[in-house]
This record gives sequence, C-alpha cells and structure tokens, in this order.
Amino acid sequence: MKADRLRRFIDLHAWLGMASGLALFVAFFAGALNVFHHELHHWQTPQATEAASQDAIDGQALLARVTDQYPDARKRLFFLPEEDPAVMWFQSSDAGAGEWLTAHATDFDEAGKYVEKPRSALADFINQLHYQLAIPGGGLPINLGMTFMGLISILYGAALFTGLVIHWPKLRKEFFALKHEGNMRRYWKNMHNLIGVVSLPFHLIMSVTGAAMGAFTLVAVVLGTLVFGPQLRGVIEEETAVWPPVQSQGESVAMVPMADYLSAAADALPEMSVDWVEIRGYGDAAGWVDVAGSVPGYVGHHAHVVLDPAMGVLNVIAPGQRSLNFDSFSPVYSLHFGDYGGMLVKWLYFAMGLLGALLFVSGNVLWCERRSDRQGPSRGSAFLLRLTLGLCFGVVIGVACSFLVSKGLPYTPWAAWVATAERAICGVVVVLLVLWSLRASPLRFSGLMLTVAPLCYLAVPLLQVVLEGGHALEADNLLINGLLLLVASSLWVVRRQFRKRVRLAEPHPLWVGKVTQGHPKHLTETEREAVS
Amino acid sequence: MRAFLAFLLSLPLSVMLMGLVAAAVPVPWQSWLVLQLLGVTLLWMLLVVLVALPERTWPPLVALLVMNGVAWMALQTTALYGGGA
Repeated sequence: MKADRLRRFIDLHAWLGMASGLALFVAFFAGALNVFHHELHHWQTPQATEAASQDAIDGQALLARVTDQYPDARKRLFFLPEEDPAVMWFQSSDAGAGEWLTAHATDFDEAGKYVEKPRSALADFINQLHYQLAIPGGGLPINLGMTFMGLISILYGAALFTGLVIHWPKLRKEFFALKHEGNMRRYWKNMHNLIGVVSLPFHLIMSVTGAAMGAFTLVAVVLGTLVFGPQLRGVIEEETAVWPPVQSQGESVAMVPMADYLSAAADALPEMSVDWVEIRGYGDAAGWVDVAGSVPGYVGHHAHVVLDPAMGVLNVIAPGQRSLNFDSFSPVYSLHFGDYGGMLVKWLYFAMGLLGALLFVSGNVLWCERRSDRQGPSRGSAFLLRLTLGLCFGVVIGVACSFLVSKGLPYTPWAAWVATAERAICGVVVVLLVLWSLRASPLRFSGLMLTVAPLCYLAVPLLQVVLEGGHALEADNLLINGLLLLVASSLWVVRRQFRKRVRLAEPHPLWVGKVTQGHPKHLTETEREAVS
Repeated sequence: MRAFLAFLLSLPLSVMLMGLVAAAVPVPWQSWLVLQLLGVTLLWMLLVVLVALPERTWPPLVALLVMNGVAWMALQTTALYGGGA
C-alpha cells in the first residue's frame, strides 16, 4: 500500500479510536464485570437477607399477594423463579407510577402487606454503566445513553475496519512482535496491536451486535421514515412478540399453580432450562403465560413456550422451531453477552473485556503522544491524555467504591441509601479524579492511581470476609470475589509494566507536563516502515 | 466536521440501500428485518470509512449527498413504502 494512503488509514483509525475510545473503555470495563451479572445479583444480597428468604413465603404465595394488591401487575408481570423469588411489574397508577417495581418474597410484613425494602442495585448499575454509561433515561421515548453507545459502536466498527486494513499485510510479523526492544513506547504500541489483532473476532462481534442493539431504535425510525412507512412499527411488534397482545373479553379464569405451568412448558420443550416467566392478563381467559429460558448447545439458545391459562400450548419458539427474525436476533444477544458456552466462554469474555479496556487506553495514549510528536507541543494532546487517564482511573476506582458501598452500607444505619449511594460514589469519584488529573502531572497521577486501584479491588473481598465470614466463599460469592481479585492482579501487572517503562525509558514529555518546542517531531514506526 | 457529516449522511444512505435490497430480494421484507438491521449497521460502518478516507474533503461528501438522492428516487419506484412485500 502506498505510504500516503496508509497514513490516511492510520489517521482515520486514530481519529475514530480517539472519538469512541473513552466511551468504549467504560463499556468494556463494566461489560467485563457484567458477564457475571447473574452471579453479581447473588453477591450483592447481604447474608441476612438470604437467610430471611429461606423462611419467606414461596413463589406461588408471592404471585398471589402481588396480583391481589396491585391490579397493574395483572396486566403484565415477570416472575423470576430463583432462591428468593421475585415478581416485576410496571406500575402505571398509585405510588411508584411510571416505574418497574420488584417484589421479593422477603418484602412482605406480618400482615402480608408489600413493604419495599432497600436493596443493593449494584448488578443493575454495572449493567447500565455498560450499555448506556449510566446516563438516566429521563422518561424520553428513546434511551439516550443506549443510542449514544449504538452510535459509538458504529465508529468502533469503522475503526476496526481501518485497523484491519493497516495491520493485515504484516499480521504474522506483528503477531510475534510483542517484545521489549529497549524502547518501552514500542512495547505499548506492540501490545496495542497484538491485543487488537488477537481479539479482532471478539471486537467485530461486539461492534456489530452493540451497534445493532444500541442503535436499533434510531435505525428503525429511519427505516420507517424512508423505506417502509408507518407500517414498520406494527411489523416489528408482530415479528418480535412471542404471542399477540391480550384482547380481553372480560372473562375471568382461575390460574393454575406456577409449578404446573413450568411442568407444562417442560413437557412441550424438555431440554429447556427456565430463566423467567412472563404473564400477560393474569386471571383473564384471554391471557397467556410465556415460559422463557435456554436450550443448551446452541449459540442462539433463547427459547419460549407460550401457554394459555389452562396450560394449553399456544406457541413454541426454540432453535429449529422459530422464524428467521428470531433465529437472527437470538445469536445477536448471546454473542454479545457470552452466555452460550458455559463458564469457559464467560471467563474468555471477561478476559477479552479487560483486554479491550486496555486496548482503548493504550490507543488513546498512543494517539496523544503521536499527535504531539507530529504537530509539536499541543495543549489539546496534553488535555486529552489527562482526560483519558482521569476518566479511566475514575471509572476503575469508582466501580470499586460502588462494590465497597454495596457490601458495607447494608450493615450501617444508612442501609436505606445503598442503591443511591452505589451510583453516587462512582459518579463523585469519576468527577474528582478527572478534575485532579487535569491539574496533576500525568506520570505521578498514573503512578499513584495504579497503586490505589488494585488495593481497592483487593479490599472488596476482604470486606465481605470481615462482614459475612464464610458466606464470602459460597458458590457465586466465591466467583465474584475471585473475579475482583483477578481485576486487582491485572491492575497490578499494568502497574508493574508502567513502572518498568518509567525506569527503563525517558517518559514522553506529555507525561511530565512539559511539552517544549524543542521536542523533536518524528514519524511513527508504522509510517517509517511504510516510507522505507 | 467532515467525519460528522460522513457519519450523519451515511445512515440514510445505508438504510435506503438496504431498502433497495429488500425490494430486489424475492422474499417478504418482514421476514428478515433483523438481518436488514445488521446489514444497515455494517453498511453504515463501511460508508463512514469510505467517505472519511479520501484526501479531499468535499467530493466524497457531495458524492454521498448525491447517492442519498439517487437512492431515495430509486426507492420511489418500489412498492415498499406503506405497501406490501
């Protein structure tokens, strides 16, 4: 490839990466933790609440109480048949109007009245941080944060395409080029390239599925406006619904016990493991029950068995028994969330998520240094480097603080504030560290943060052991604590490499906050190779 | 500015191109909506690169604008808008 064309590809790759890098860092770091979303839900439940759920009412009684006390729940509800069963419904009237409410079996007083108890919402916060940067919805018809991440995914996909064009001709050479060659800056560049090349399939999957899910509403609106017209909305509802909406005739019917619905679903699709149950029109003869779950052994593993109130099978949607739209959308979800191949794939996604976060930080740092080298001293480069460091360390340490608050606050008199405090502490830490990074020397700031961050992640499992003893070693808790220790170890490895670079090579002037006119301009390694 | 315009104008073009494919393929468009959605996102990514890459700024942007117009006119010859497959 000609040198100037290659240079344009490099410039575009760097620009696209820079424009999307910070948002992607947040999404990947939170996404790596979110791979174990289900386990995190268990981890965040205090030991005392788990013990209370053993003595609480069963799922059937919970369902009866919720539907008796909340007529809105009869229209549409989700039942989660877990150890501490839960019912979710959309409250459109009375208290809590316009919100999804969740009732657990432990949320009822002695008189059988629902009393909303303060609960940690850490897993949901991490999930929202991943897919919408925790930007509040604000009651708008379009989810701003999610759509923003969809647009970022488009830039990310374009950056991947340019990166592939740049590295394809010398893929084999670069694949084995991760070695220390005296110049530690080359080491980081090699590492950026190596992570990008090794995890390219993973990143391709993430960019396409992320864009498809994040920008779905926007693309659907444009498709409807320009191509298919107003009919599109009805078609989307029809093609993605498991069964048409309830057309009530006002005829009541007695619902059978939940266990019987689950049993009927198991008869219709024996290989399915149940995740949740959706009920539309509870107690209405025209209502239906959707038992949703997974059929192991398929990438697109999602399955539904739709039953009428008398347990007659209305529809079965499963691998090999579904429309092309369901067949296409199911893998989009599972390829994005990594829930199709058991624990091995989940750990792989976790590792790829952390490596992805490192890829975006190193890309941003390389961009700032390269811009400073080529265009001379620049306030813009210095600002972007500091912003990158402040935001990335802010998110990493902020999330650790959310974990600490989630585990610690329920054991204090401020337990009622736990869900709010988890979000607030993360936001405050991010803002403070960004402000600090803009004032401090990047080198000193990074050195300090790389010491603090691993200690924060080490402190979380220790706090749980102190507060809950052996409970910290039970199945899901052990997994999450192990995961946090892995994050701490990874950060410690980065710290070691960072210190090695400082010890062996003179830091780039940007890092010590003195970009002078005398600093020489030079081409990047790739550009030099292209010229020669 | 250039990249922003490329990003903005590539969305309607990728959507309309996918619409033209839907009109050409002898399968009801409703039955493969999700694949169209995936196709739109891939086309959008590709168009952003193609428009942002050339050395000169305006020719690719003008070309993108013209392509949008051509695709829109071509779509009017199909029965997709408000019609059936």
